[in-house]
Amino acid sequence: MSKLEKTPFFLPLLAIIPALLGALLLTGCSAPEPPELKQATLLPVAKAVADFQLTDQASRPFTLDNLKGRWTLAFFGYTNCPDVCPTSMAMLAQVQRQLEQDPDAAELPQVVFFSVDPERDTPELLASFVPYFHASFIGVTGDPDQILKLTRQIGIIYGKTGGSGADDYLVDHSAAIILFDPTGSFHALFGVPHQPELIASDFLAIRDYYEAVR
Amino acid sequence: MKRVMLALTLAATSWLAAAQPDIQIEDAWVREAPPSARMLAAYMTLKNPADQDQVLVEVQSPAFSHVMLHRSEVIDGVARMIHLDEVVIPAGGSVQLEPGGLHLMMPAPETRLSAGDRVPLVLLFADGNQIEVQAEVRKKP
Repeated sequence: MSKLEKTPFFLPLLAIIPALLGALLLTGCSAPEPPELKQATLLPVAKAVADFQLTDQASRPFTLDNLKGRWTLAFFGYTNCPDVCPTSMAMLAQVQRQLEQDPDAAELPQVVFFSVDPERDTPELLASFVPYFHASFIGVTGDPDQILKLTRQIGIIYGKTGGSGADDYLVDHSAAIILFDPTGSFHALFGVPHQPELIASDFLAIRDYYEAVR
Repeated sequence: MKRVMLALTLAATSWLAAAQPDIQIEDAWVREAPPSARMLAAYMTLKNPADQDQVLVEVQSPAFSHVMLHRSEVIDGVARMIHLDEVVIPAGGSVQLEPGGLHLMMPAPETRLSAGDRVPLVLLFADGNQIEVQAEVRKKP
């Protein structure tokens, strides 16, 4: 028997010790209850995201660092989309306005529109698209490989479809809204149909729970 | 004299009724879009009080290069737009064009449209009926 086969035998024991300590601590000081969510799906464990190099609507770099230090609501769409994307962006503006009026909200999440059509969605185009919905909204585009690098880490999928010419296509894309926590980790998602008041209240519940257990 | 007026009014009314297409269109509107938008969408309710199905086959507008019948749907979390050749308005029923569902997709607006503007749309039906509506541009949350 080699050392290699013996090693895994000790690992579970080592892993149990902090878990037991944690359980003792939690029972000792009545842990906060996980929030009851109406629309969001909370990841059992937030998923760390590897860095990516993209560009915002003012042609400034937008990287993983831009997701750190605050909460982010992210939508993945394209500006040539006449129905679902403007509806979702207008809905996110409603969420933001609701949070602005909520004294419990304090610091607001940033809302980021990531383009899944970077060939057509230039920073200039995003600069006249995203602020239309809310002055604070950020638009992000960039190298298609870098968009893919981010989206495949968080389960967002998209693909070109239809159209009669090279510049005349549609893009199928995930409709979910992704919530990143202030470490830049993928924390929760909001499936469709989106209801702004539920997204706002779920966001506050998730954030408060996160801060309570941190 | 009153009788003559009444008769004329009734005659005019019945002539109008006969010339009226069977389809009623309510609440036609176009979503106001960001300045850079190259695609707009229009919505409305089509009611068919007649006892025969009506089939919308084409929509034209001088305000856009062309108009397409589309349906958005989300399947397994992915939003898609499906191109439709026609939309059937069932006899005695109605069809709703609304955000996230059936809509008119209208590429390349001739001018920037702002809330309050009116967009002429001509709806062509399989039986040859044509209905023109003025869709109001609205800024919607």
